[in-house]
Amino acid sequence: MAELYIIGQIVGAKNFPHNSLFCKWAAHTGPGWKLIEGLKEGQTQVDNPSYDEITYWCHPIDIHYATKGIPGWPKIHLQVYHFDSFGRSEICAYGYTFIPTTPGTHEVECHTWKPVGSLIDKFRHYFVGGGPQLRENDIIYNGFNRYRLTTEPMGTVIMEFNLIQKNFKKFGVETY
Amino acid sequence: MSAFLLSVVGQIETADFPEFDNIYCKYCFAYGTDWDITSGLEEGISQVAKRNDIDERPFIWNFPLEISFRGTNPHGWPQLILSAYGLDVFGNDVARGYGLCHIPITAGHWKKSIAMFVPESSSTLQKITSWITGRRPEYIDPRVLAQGEGREVTRVRSQGKVFVTFNVMTKDFTSNSLDNSQQPIIATGSLCNSMGSLSLK
Repeated sequence: MAELYIIGQIVGAKNFPHNSLFCKWAAHTGPGWKLIEGLKEGQTQVDNPSYDEITYWCHPIDIHYATKGIPGWPKIHLQVYHFDSFGRSEICAYGYTFIPTTPGTHEVECHTWKPVGSLIDKFRHYFVGGGPQLRENDIIYNGFNRYRLTTEPMGTVIMEFNLIQKNFKKFGVETY
Repeated sequence: MSAFLLSVVGQIETADFPEFDNIYCKYCFAYGTDWDITSGLEEGISQVAKRNDIDERPFIWNFPLEISFRGTNPHGWPQLILSAYGLDVFGNDVARGYGLCHIPITAGHWKKSIAMFVPESSSTLQKITSWITGRRPEYIDPRVLAQGEGREVTRVRSQGKVFVTFNVMTKDFTSNSLDNSQQPIIATGSLCNSMGSLSLK
């Protein structure tokens, strides 16, 4: 079996309208992939930056997969939450990114989005907080069922991936 | 899988902490169970660097890092963990920032900037008592940062950056059929370039 080592960090986020953000992340693969070691989901710390405009999470990722085939290449989906001054956390943005397919170091920027609701929803959001959120998370990383959704842009999540591939060449898979 | 080697020479060069006047830095490494250190120092502590007030130069540590690892499994890849401390006006040793990064996986010369953050008190009452007693929250063992779990409860404030250079050499990766080569990032067409410079707010 070919093996893939994903070593990296969810570095942080920029261009969000709020501070005090944290992120829930999870890795997804197709059925042919097997998780050998490492955590495939997690939640970052809450950062309230005072150095620059970037929220830093510096959350380490270290996942080891074995696979029989290319289909279902791993991807990571993100849910960014905002921790407000009343101690509530509400969803701020969704996004996903594929793990790059070439070995080596990659800095990946994931542009994120948020569903928008009706005018009444906006009105309610302004006064009491909260807002429309996805009922099922697979919409974040699957292409189908998105067509009825209206979204607005949120910030960018920065990630660093260091990838080591094993035995891809041996099975005749050219990744670069 | 037989063993492979990862050797690093480098330095913790400079730091930028806009709010503070003197800072020193400790480093240590966190790595998985399939890794050992074959030579070099696992922990170190730098001198106290002072700020230059005249032309606002950064804190300069110029502190050497020199270490070799022997691993049998890339999982648990070593991470450099930095903790910066400084003295406050009462002479207390206060944590000024914690940061971490993985050692680069590919041989070559690498420059990294590491964000430094401190844990914050969770309540206003704790904030006041820690201000009075001079004991602010800090990590007892900063190696917990290198784990992917148990960090969701902490609230932090990022307040500085440390700049580190690594010169990385690897051995026996190819003979273990591990591919850690660095490939160029390809971006073709003017559309790609303009996408990169789009500022999304």
